[in-house]
Amino acid sequence: MHELNWGLLIVVYLFLGGLSAGLFFAAGLANYLEVDGQPAYPRVARMGALLAPWPVALGSALLILDLGNWYRFYKLFTHFRWESPMSIGSYLLTFFTGIAFLYAYAWLPEAWRQQLFAKVPATWARVHRLNVDLSAHTKLIAMIGFPFAIGVGIYTGVLLGAVSARPFWNTNLVAQMFLFSALSSGAAALLLAMVLDRREPIQTHETKFLITLDIVFIVLELFIILPYLIHGQLSVLAVKQALWLILGGPYTVVFWVFFMGFGLLTPLAIEVYELAPSLLKGHAFHGDRKLALVASSLVLCGGFLLRYIFVYAGQLSSFHKMGSLH
Amino acid sequence: MAMKKKRYALVVDSRKCINCKACAVACKAENEVPVGRFRNWINEARQGEYPKLRIDFEPEQCHHCEHPSCARVCPTGATWVRKDGIVLVDYDDCIGCRYCMVACPYEARYFHEESGTVHKCTLCSHRIDGGELPACVATCPSKVRVFGDLEDSSSRIHELLATRRYRLKEPQTGNGPQLYYLL
Repeated sequence: MHELNWGLLIVVYLFLGGLSAGLFFAAGLANYLEVDGQPAYPRVARMGALLAPWPVALGSALLILDLGNWYRFYKLFTHFRWESPMSIGSYLLTFFTGIAFLYAYAWLPEAWRQQLFAKVPATWARVHRLNVDLSAHTKLIAMIGFPFAIGVGIYTGVLLGAVSARPFWNTNLVAQMFLFSALSSGAAALLLAMVLDRREPIQTHETKFLITLDIVFIVLELFIILPYLIHGQLSVLAVKQALWLILGGPYTVVFWVFFMGFGLLTPLAIEVYELAPSLLKGHAFHGDRKLALVASSLVLCGGFLLRYIFVYAGQLSSFHKMGSLH
Repeated sequence: MAMKKKRYALVVDSRKCINCKACAVACKAENEVPVGRFRNWINEARQGEYPKLRIDFEPEQCHHCEHPSCARVCPTGATWVRKDGIVLVDYDDCIGCRYCMVACPYEARYFHEESGTVHKCTLCSHRIDGGELPACVATCPSKVRVFGDLEDSSSRIHELLATRRYRLKEPQTGNGPQLYYLL
């Protein structure tokens, strides 16, 4: 009689929310990096800033549509319940989306901004008063946004991790796992977008920066997943039985082959293959376009699959059927 | 004079259960539970092979936990705990996010498609408030269920819990379940 209460919409939302957080983080970081007093990756910073708000905006819309009564979503904001991760999350999400849009606006090229405001009727003076140049304040906005981006990245994990009734989720590692997966997805999405942008082809140093960033996040993610599995196996019966879902149970193949294999280790291998010669032997970094394309797409698929596996397998785990000896 | 504190709960003597499911039917009729959904049900556990075989019936429903995880995760406070311990859903505040359903260790909640909200056992609070017994308790032919106030030392359930051994289901979730199964 067990049913899945949360389905694909939630998976997509968790992925998109994390993606935006990762995009914002990578873009904000790129904004802060300088070489000889000059911004090192201004195009990465701009691309990330312009992309960051959209996934989370779409994800939040999906989240609202997934409600039994979507038009009651405003009730989330007429209450604040600090004990409920969803309550905290809805405020976090709102602030983050606002800041991400503000940040994108600050990075908007002057010409685009004028074009945008040219479409607003001239009589709407109040709207035209918003036509201000915020490009001098991008670093400040990024700094304000960082905690919110990290918060959104963590929150998607806490939403699941806080459920004590689901042993698959209820560990102290899920939040970090989701955070690093989100940051990695953000770096990969940025790489993918820059590679696909044919008007201004990606430059080698930009590829190198994004690949390095992604390697760091994937490795961190890996070092969360391994203890998750090991601790789970060493834990109480209910957790052990919950882990069976990915260690022999119905989600084994999708976890090991598609997520771990294609979504995590393959892109890691490609990225290390790209970076290692320049890092270890001082060779020039080539930054093969196709490899970057493949690696970043795989990372995005992996990020989606991780959320898919956790949302679905997690709901199947319970103390009710597991952890009892009869 | 101040009202005495109340703590309503159910004691279940599952060895008396004959799996007639009258409780489930009574509940559905009383609370207009949609087809295919249940606020209470009976778990069956078979053991052994014929002729050495046994079957156990275990009625279950919302445990009206002392620290309900459903109420904790509810983002709008729609799920709340009444002063007498009954865990209820305020249907006007429920947005249908189903977080409570995910968080309930007993899978005691269901999604009510028509209203887009989450429903569950109310211990028939509308009947209790009128001095009646919950429908499942009133209808049970083998007197499996005993309803009462744990704070009232003269009540039948107080006596049962003081004199009989009992168990709670999955207390390790920390929810503090209040559905007592006599051994």
